[in-house]
Amino acid sequence: MKLVIERSALLKSLGHVQSVVERRTTIPILSNVRLDAANGSLSLNATDMDLEIVESTAAEVGQKGEITAPAHTLYDIVRKLPDGAQVELAFGGEGQLTLTSGRSRFQLACLPVDDFPALASGDFSHTFSLSATDLRSLIDRTRFAISTEETRYYLNGIYLHGTDSDGVDVLRTVATDGHRLARVELPLPDGAAGMPGTIVPRKAVSEVRKLIEEAEGDVMVSVSDAKIRFSIGDTVLTSKLIDGTFPDYERVIPTGNDKVMEMDCKTLSKAVDRVSAISSEKSRSIKLNMEKGLVTLSASSPENGSAVEEVEASYDAGQLEIGFNSRYLLDIMQQIEGDAARFTMADSASPTVIRDVSDGSAVYVLMPMRV
Amino acid sequence: MTVRFLPPNLVNQIAAGEVVERPASVVKELVENALDAGASHVDVTMNDGGRSRIVVADDGCGMDDRELALAVERHATSKLPDDDLTKIGFFGFRGEALPSIGAVARLTITSRTQDAPSAWYIRIEGGRREGPVPTPHPAGTRVEVRDLFYATPARLKFLKTARTELNHAVDTIERLAMANPTVAFTLMADGRTRLSLEVEDGDLFDARLARLGAIMGKDFVPNAVKVEADRGGMRLTGYAGVPTYNRGNALAQHMFVNGRPVRDRLLQGVVRRAYQDFLASNRYPYLALFLDVLPREVDVNVHPAKAEVRFRDAGQVRGLIIGALKHALAEAGHQASTTASDAALGAMTPGTLPPRPSQSLFDVARAGQAPLQETGLAEDQTTYDDAPTAVVFDPKTDNGADGDYPLGVARAQVHETYIVAQTEDGLVIVDQHAAHERLVYERMKAMLADTGVARQLLLLPEVVDLDEAAAQCLAARADELAELGLVLEAFGDGAVMIREVPALLGDTDVQGLVKDLADELADFGEALTLQDKMADVCGTMACHGSIRAGRRLGGPEMNALLREMEHTPHAGQCNHGRPTYVTLKLTDIEKLFGRR
Ligand SMILES: Nc1ncnc2c1ncn2[C@@H]1O[C@H](COP(=O)(O)OP(=O)(O)O)[C@@H](O)[C@H]1O
Ligand SMILES: [Mg+2]
Repeated sequence: MKLVIERSALLKSLGHVQSVVERRTTIPILSNVRLDAANGSLSLNATDMDLEIVESTAAEVGQKGEITAPAHTLYDIVRKLPDGAQVELAFGGEGQLTLTSGRSRFQLACLPVDDFPALASGDFSHTFSLSATDLRSLIDRTRFAISTEETRYYLNGIYLHGTDSDGVDVLRTVATDGHRLARVELPLPDGAAGMPGTIVPRKAVSEVRKLIEEAEGDVMVSVSDAKIRFSIGDTVLTSKLIDGTFPDYERVIPTGNDKVMEMDCKTLSKAVDRVSAISSEKSRSIKLNMEKGLVTLSASSPENGSAVEEVEASYDAGQLEIGFNSRYLLDIMQQIEGDAARFTMADSASPTVIRDVSDGSAVYVLMPMRV
Repeated sequence: MTVRFLPPNLVNQIAAGEVVERPASVVKELVENALDAGASHVDVTMNDGGRSRIVVADDGCGMDDRELALAVERHATSKLPDDDLTKIGFFGFRGEALPSIGAVARLTITSRTQDAPSAWYIRIEGGRREGPVPTPHPAGTRVEVRDLFYATPARLKFLKTARTELNHAVDTIERLAMANPTVAFTLMADGRTRLSLEVEDGDLFDARLARLGAIMGKDFVPNAVKVEADRGGMRLTGYAGVPTYNRGNALAQHMFVNGRPVRDRLLQGVVRRAYQDFLASNRYPYLALFLDVLPREVDVNVHPAKAEVRFRDAGQVRGLIIGALKHALAEAGHQASTTASDAALGAMTPGTLPPRPSQSLFDVARAGQAPLQETGLAEDQTTYDDAPTAVVFDPKTDNGADGDYPLGVARAQVHETYIVAQTEDGLVIVDQHAAHERLVYERMKAMLADTGVARQLLLLPEVVDLDEAAAQCLAARADELAELGLVLEAFGDGAVMIREVPALLGDTDVQGLVKDLADELADFGEALTLQDKMADVCGTMACHGSIRAGRRLGGPEMNALLREMEHTPHAGQCNHGRPTYVTLKLTDIEKLFGRR
């Protein structure tokens, strides 16, 4: 194998693939990136056995071939090369990859490609495309609610599925940690009808999110019962799905809450942030006392003292006091892009529904605290 | 005073005092008789905790009229054919159970041998016998005991609630069922099926494992390793749970000697020894061990009702069990590995606050050392493949000079479990889980004292499956638990539904927490209030709200933990009394390298 490639192109691709490679792995080959040179392009491939990424980028291929080399080391080297440099990669079969650039020369220990695991590709039953912007919005507004508790593995991801929402076919993402829930939907793209419900693991979510950060245009999504694949330009990310049943989330989203409160989202966020400075480290509880036209936020803790702040709001449903985890509340406020947030509540012990007044595509449910 | 022989019924009542303590002892005697009779199905029915009615029906060999009449006589038994007490091959041998039961309750027995044309029926009440008379009944024996202790009201007073008595009986049947996987058992209590264990087949190991799973919970099966060892005419078989599958009390440790369930202090000590390198001192493994020894090596004649045994050579038994368990655990690949030398560990001192004598330096050292199996050196090699890793972070981002902080500044996290910090004159190694657990615990205590524990309501209430007794026990203490932040309610039989959790635990493993609490409550018994045991309960909750070993921590996170430890009382010990950190002075390090 022999090829020459522009440093910036190589860096970009390596940056994408190395982030899939686990730093701590007991299987040596999994620390490596598979390099495949042929027909004017270099393909880079990395996996942690659950998640696989393949990216190709243009290169001047002198002699085709394939090899695997340590991903993090390679990335580190390329990162430190000067901007605009040309990089030559050569492997002659002696167990070492030679990287040459300018007057620098590196020899990297390699492992043969035969040992490199491939996620058996299998068939995908449904394929549809989605704009990168839409995918970002599906992910961004739900991922904060993903559970990190490993014993409830089926909550350790985003539930992506097609469903019917008041007579409209939609593509939905849902995440919950059992304390709060986020649900976002978009019109169902062509080809997604009848797709299986998929729980996309947290790591895959975060990798795909990185990849679409700068991306414009469309992302192709393919799903099967066991896998999901995102094709973004020259990059293909394939992940195993979480093998579990996502809870029947519809049941916990109340529909009959009749106490409605609307207020300016930024104002509320800032007030919550200030008041919760006083609440105790871990529980971070904050109380919202609602009266006609006014919400009083308060917090107290034995160590720190107490805090009170009044915020104007449109509310006229009788006095009500609810406690929340201030961090959960802030997380949700951050998702709301419009000016105002609408809270619909039943009482201080039932789920509160929060929406962006100007955007019906997302619903957040927050379970109160007793303080 | 006149010396005289007591009338037979009084003798039997006195004997009953020994043999029949409570409904569960009746169940034990009758089920053992059924097993001795070679039954393959044993069906037990109980009403009112066994107080008003106990029925045990089997499909064993049965009795003819002559045997039936004899069976209810004192010291009549079919089980010591050679009059040799050193050859006990059955559960029974005293010939005491039936007459004793007949003296304190209304007893009827219906029995038919396999090929007899008819069954026989006999009735004993107040020591008086009626029958045998012929009656229709399938082959096998059905013993019915009504109104237990009606004849000895003093005994009646000592009975606990029906539920407690029933739980004792369930325990008894489960233990007998573990040793007899090829026999089916059922227990109906007040019209409800409480136990239903099918015949397990396959070889003895498979059948046993399946039966153990049916009783101890199906999770036991994938978490169990086979135990098998022979020594000097003794044979030990069974299954031991891997160390990571553990619980908060010793109730799931079962031992059987020649098929007879025994409760022996010996077992607990021995198990502790075998697991000591893998388990914290307040955690207990699940296991069921079956020891077969020549009858003459063991005395089961210690006490008729107590499950005690006496070994001729207890030392040898102990050695056999420890060896077999350690071997099984090593095979399972759960050996701890270490590269640190004894010398290095010997120089380390456990965290400042009262290093209790029980956690000597040796414990610290031992905890980190692999038990060396004489024969296991070859297998040990594998542990080196798992390359140790350290996440080191840039000291430039550190805050403050090292000297400002007693616990120093974090330099690295090793094995995603320990934080290594540099102090002015040495280094500190912190067990991140133990340390964090302590902090959560102290916080919880402070909150409890001040404002009560804030509770997070669950959007998705969690149902936790437990055994019925544990679920009842938790539900009975729901009010007390609510004060500590855990709100639950009974959910059918054998499960509880969790609706609120202590907020400071965050997104936590509710299932694990509740199971541990249930274990703990089982240990406390009925008398104690949770307030008395608050430290333990908070400790258990804290443990679940803490950073696990195995979680990667960033520099700021590590330093925050160190700073908080400095400000928390008793931060030097975790709730289990182990040190949360050890320090190594520069002078000690120098000694290690022969510089001093
Ligand atoms: N379920 C049964 N099936 C057949 N025989 C039984 C059964 N229960 C009791 N027997 C007979 O009655 C005798 C006396 O029983 P018991 O009083 O329990 O004394 P032991 O079991 O010590 O012999 C037994 O030895 C046995 O022969
Ligand atoms: Mg008997």
